[in-house]
Amino acid sequence: MIHSMARYSASKPSSDLWEAQLRKGSLEMAILASLWKSNHYGLEILHALDGRSSLALAEGTLYLILNRLKNDGAVESKWVDAGTGHPRKYYWLTEEGRERLRAMTRFWIQFSADLNVLLEPVIARKERINAAR
Amino acid sequence: MPLDDVTNTVDEYCNRLWKALHKLPGSERDEIVREVRGHILERVEAEPKVTEQVLTEILRAVGDPKELASEYEGYAALRQATHSRSPWVLLRATLRWAATSVVGVMAFLATVIGYGCGTVFFLSAFLKPMFPSRIGLWLAPQHTLCFGYWNGQVSGTVLYGISVRPPAFVLGTLGPTDGPVRELLGAWLSPVAVFCGVLCFLATSLVARWFIARFKPRRNGVRHSLTRCRTPILTTNTKRNPTTGHLAATPAKREWRNFLARWL
Repeated sequence: MIHSMARYSASKPSSDLWEAQLRKGSLEMAILASLWKSNHYGLEILHALDGRSSLALAEGTLYLILNRLKNDGAVESKWVDAGTGHPRKYYWLTEEGRERLRAMTRFWIQFSADLNVLLEPVIARKERINAAR
Repeated sequence: MPLDDVTNTVDEYCNRLWKALHKLPGSERDEIVREVRGHILERVEAEPKVTEQVLTEILRAVGDPKELASEYEGYAALRQATHSRSPWVLLRATLRWAATSVVGVMAFLATVIGYGCGTVFFLSAFLKPMFPSRIGLWLAPQHTLCFGYWNGQVSGTVLYGISVRPPAFVLGTLGPTDGPVRELLGAWLSPVAVFCGVLCFLATSLVARWFIARFKPRRNGVRHSLTRCRTPILTTNTKRNPTTGHLAATPAKREWRNFLARWL
């Protein structure tokens, strides 16, 4: 989904483009976060992301991002024979990947907190309108 | 849907992907196809009943083989370019990148201009012995300095090459203008041109590689923000050199230093 949304056209409303850009920018962090607790293979990572509709992505794109993360040294992988007739490629975070995710998380917390302060008047106005109804 | 038909359809998809990935090294290509194939089979096995429609939907969700391959190759080209000194590899990588982002367009333009200037210098050095009175470093009217070819006419002077007429810079044709032109370098032109050409190519490769290493497209934009961010988040990570007590270099500075160290 993200994959196709990223290939936007000029006719799309700007809010859609903004959403697509925001999702695209957060995918790497989401994938790293899904590997924080344990090793997973591609489909498991996809299920973890699919549970949250705003993070859904094209399945082929997932492997591209994992490939990129592996080249960057953030994750490692290994083929494991799972007894299903075809092996699965399991991924896990390296120490560098963990550090990178920690840095991303710190930035994300600060970033969202700053943004929330700016959005407070907008949220408050919406609440007032709801209360009036 | 019979199992054989499912297998054939999956194999056909994987074959298309494998063919589309022809620019990647064999082992990497096999690895990608193996993983995608495993993924498709997992998805098929998870379905209670596999119909043609279900299988088509699974393959559609994975993505068009050509588009998928193009993304893999785009990334591989940039990765290769960060380790390459070949102008051709760097030009191809930045061209591919230019199709996807504004930074890519800037990198491509910088690369084209840099290598363009280098080519003009080398061509001038090569052509000087053949056209000694037409190739040179020309001082033309309106404080114009041009390295390249002069059409030989005082009225309607046209200069081809690298021209500087402050504040403008022109790579290509300049003119026509009227007035005398004067050659400044004479016999020194060839060695100077070769030196400048080498310098241009090296500097352009260096800048293009740095551009790619620093700004190469990622699925995540946070990393770059982190290196530029000046909020206290990053200062918690700031370390001091135990000997000098100076603050350690920022990631961007470290990147640049490592990069220079590899080249010099």
